[in-house]
Formats: sequence, C-alpha cells, structure tokens
Amino acid sequence: MELAQSTPNRMSPLRSLSWRKTRETIFWYFVLILIALFTVFPFVWVFFTSFKGPADAIVSVPPQLIPKDPTFDNYIRVWNQLPIPAFFMNSVIVSLSTVVLNLLFCSLAAYPLGKMKFKGRDLIFYLLLATFVIPPQLTSIPSYVLAVNVFKYYDSILALIFPNLATVFNIFLLRQAFKTVPNDLIEAGKMDGASDLRVWWSILLPVIRPSLATAAIFTFVNQWNDFFWPSLMLHTRTHMTLQVGLVAMQGMMTSDARGMAAGVTMTIIPIIIFFVLLQRHFVRGLGGAVKG
Amino acid sequence: MTRKKLSLTPYLFLAPALLVIATFVLYPIGAVFYYSFTKYNISTPPVWVGLDNYKALLTDKIFWLALQHSFTYLLVTPILIVLCTILAIVVNRKLPGINAFRAVYYIPVISGSIAVGISWRLMLDTNGLLNGLLLSLGVIQSPIQWLAEPSMTLPIAMLLTIWMGLGYYMMIFLAGLQNIPEELYDAAAIDGCNPIQKHWHVSVPGLRPQYVVVGVVSSLAALQVFNEIYILTGGLGGILNSGVTVVFYLWRKAFRLQEAGMASAIAIVLLLITLIFSIVNIRLMERGTEAD
Repeated sequence: MELAQSTPNRMSPLRSLSWRKTRETIFWYFVLILIALFTVFPFVWVFFTSFKGPADAIVSVPPQLIPKDPTFDNYIRVWNQLPIPAFFMNSVIVSLSTVVLNLLFCSLAAYPLGKMKFKGRDLIFYLLLATFVIPPQLTSIPSYVLAVNVFKYYDSILALIFPNLATVFNIFLLRQAFKTVPNDLIEAGKMDGASDLRVWWSILLPVIRPSLATAAIFTFVNQWNDFFWPSLMLHTRTHMTLQVGLVAMQGMMTSDARGMAAGVTMTIIPIIIFFVLLQRHFVRGLGGAVKG
Repeated sequence: MTRKKLSLTPYLFLAPALLVIATFVLYPIGAVFYYSFTKYNISTPPVWVGLDNYKALLTDKIFWLALQHSFTYLLVTPILIVLCTILAIVVNRKLPGINAFRAVYYIPVISGSIAVGISWRLMLDTNGLLNGLLLSLGVIQSPIQWLAEPSMTLPIAMLLTIWMGLGYYMMIFLAGLQNIPEELYDAAAIDGCNPIQKHWHVSVPGLRPQYVVVGVVSSLAALQVFNEIYILTGGLGGILNSGVTVVFYLWRKAFRLQEAGMASAIAIVLLLITLIFSIVNIRLMERGTEAD
C-alpha cells in the first residue's frame, strides 16, 4: 500500500514487484489446477464414460474422454437390473436415522461427562477413551453372532442402525462442546426451576448447535460410505445400501465398464452435492476434532 | 460441577449410550477373547480348544504374509505426512477461489472407498485408461495387467489409500498452519530464510501436534485397511494372497471359511499390535507436548 503512493520515478521497481506478484499468482494457480486434475480426474473420466454409447471406445489409442455418441442407456440398464431406488432409500434411512438417534444418545451422555461431578465419571471417561483403539473389525465377529442369534436383524437395515446408536467419537466431541458452555447459563436455568433434562434440551443443545452440526455431518458421511459391516449383514438385493449394492453391481457387470461407470456416478453425485452444501462444517469439524 | 449431591441424574443421562457401547464394543472384546480359544463356525456353539488357534497361527504362512503386508502398508503414513504437509502449505494462501480448490481436493475423501475403488479398477483394467495413455505415449508396447500382477496389488491399494487420504489430512494440517503466528514467518524472513527454509524452520515444527494426530489416525487406518483390497481384488485377496492383510485375513477366516475361532485369534493379535502402536504414539505425543 505504501509503495503504491511512491513517486513516479520509483515506478519501475514497483512494476517489477507487481509483475513478480502476478507471475507468482499464475504459478500457484497452475499448481492448484494440476493437483485438482489429479484428485478429480478419475471421477471426471468415470462421469464421461457413463455417457458413452456402444460406438464410443472405453479406451483407445489415443484415449478419448468426451463421448461422441452420448446416451442415457447405461443408466437405464443399471436402473433396470438393480433396485437402485431401494439402495438409495436404504442408505438415506440408515444414515438419517443413525444421525438423529446417535446425536440424541451421545448428547445425553456428553452432558454429565462435561458438566456434572459424580462417582465413576473418570472411570467411565477413560473406559470410553480406551475403546478408541479397538479395531471395528474385531467387534464384527460377536456383533454378527448377536445379529443372527439375539437381535434377529440379520439382513435388515436395523442391523446398521443399532450398533451405531452411540459412538465414542461423538460423545467426546459433544462433551468438549458442553465444557465450553458457561456454568452460569445452567445455574440460571436451574434457578428458574428447570430440570436437568429441560436444561439440556432448551439451554444447552441450542448453544452447542455448531458441534451438533459437525457431528451430524461426519456421522452421516461415515454411515453413507460404510461397507464392511453392511456387507456382512445385507444379502437380499432390496435390503442393500448403495455401497453394498454397488459391489453387487460390480459382481454382475464385470465386463460392462459403461454400466459400472453409470452406477458409480449415481452414487457419488448425491454425496458430492451434500458436501458442497455443507462444506463449511466439514472444515470446522476437522479443525475441532484435532484440538479436542 | 454444578452440585455435589449424589443423584441418579448423570447415570440416567449416560445409560442409553453406555448400553449401546457395552453391547457393541465392550461385550465383543470379551467375546472375541473367549472365541479365540475355541473352534467356532458361528452356526454351532463354540468348542474349547485352548491355545490351538494361536499355535496354528504361528505356523500359518498366509498369516505371516498378512502381517508382513500390514506392516508394509504402514508406509502410507510417512508418505501421507510429507505429501499432505506440502499440500497444506500450497493451499494455505489467500487467493481468490482457494476454498473451491480445497473442496475439490476433499472430494475423494467423501466419495467413499467403494465408488473410488471401482473407478480406479476401471482405469487400471487391462482395457483401461492407464494402458491406453501409456500405449499412446509409447511408454509401453503391450497392455500391462495391473490388477493381475501379484507384485502390484499392495502398491496399487496403498496408492489408492494415499490418494483418498490427501484431502483429509491436508485439512488437518491446514488447521494447524493457520494457528502458527505470522510473526514467526516474518522473523525467519529477516533471518534470511528462503521460502523453503522458512517452511522447514517454522511450519514443520509448528505442525507437531498435527503430526501426532495424523500419525496415529493414518497408521491405525492402515492397519485396518480392508475396502481397498476388497474392491481391487474382487474380494479374493489377490493372486497368491498378494493383497491379504491382517484384517482381510480375519474377514476371510470368519465370514468366508466359517473359522470364527481362528479369526478371533487373529483379531486378538491385531488388538495387541494396535495397543502397542497406540502406546508408542501416546509416548511420542507426551514427549511432543513436553517439548512445547
């Protein structure tokens, strides 16, 4: 800014400075675009492949990206062979109901852990902390036995919801959020004769809304993309989530690259839209997760 | 901290979440430990066999191969740390549209390993894009069977893990970089540091807390890798078990070969490895914070 007000005879160093700045900016955009190509290229290629007609080669020398004969046939074929709407519905039901119930359970548990003094609090806290290192695949064997013999929800989406009703990660994230709420706020509510449940619902939850949003988004994406456990539980086509259905499709259409590309595109687009809409919360959540 | 009187309230708040975690995390640890001493095929009750499963593992060549593969897989951690530090430094500048670039780099993270894995499979297919590109550039004369080549299975899976992790760990490092005071960079510049030295002397030490987090998270994820292997090898583990990791072997034993007792013994070994890793990491973390 100071340079800009300097006298005319000092223009030439200024011009070279601004030229250097421009050159630097161009360089950084070049680097950024190069990395962007690297990270989205497979999706771009899959997207274009999904519209390729029989006349368009999947691969040729030299490779052809844009279809000359664009068609929706691949989507129609996948749609006719697999219950895509059922996959979508199942994924949406599983992810949404897990988010709602998980946040309810975890925010209930996080309140006393963050704001109350009681016997066994530290014990419970460290017990929960220790479960962080448990590989989820380890618990899958007994969880499978429970699903088949005790809860009888094998091959049903209930099997995907129940084990995720509470997660240690979300309890910690929300506990951290409750800790930052001033005690005066709680005292004031108690003074007005509010019960703990009322304080939690009407005073605390509205205050920690940003953390709830973060927890909700991460839980949603995790559930949406989960594969290991769902693939163990779901076998009937119409009961499958998108990820399990996508793998079933891969098994069915091994030689149909166009069809597979259409299937992949259909599953990725909703989650990308979801991400673009809620992008800000992702970034905040990651920063917060590390600090917490 | 609101009052000290013994009341049931905190326990009632905690009960639902604790019940879920007790059922789906704590009970399974005990159950897996018990199963690991039994012959168990999930459909009929377990039969006690003492240490037989562990003894069998000691002489199981595939298990040793799986261990070797899982430890090899840990190489993704240092690679991710280096690449993501550089990436975070690149995107940590004020340029118009920088947020859009960050979001684009994050897309592989949210797209889910199944969709990403299938996309990669399509590209690496014998008739896929990569061979098309290499052929037209004249780098190779005949198509390479990327996915059928045993020595390529693990490197390709690791590449996939790295590619999907770039955006995630970049965001964590970015949050760390934004906490480093600007004055430190100015001081480094006054001391005559060039831009690269500036980052080496300021950014790298400043990111120490993030290195611990990323180190822990990415190495645990590497030890637990499954989806990438499953998709790239079509659920078979690769030719000559070239892609079999500890978790993949656990899954195959439990859910393909109905040897849940043996799988539980593998799970216990995995748990021990994870515990050792976590203790080492926590020690490093403590040392890191002392140094601050």
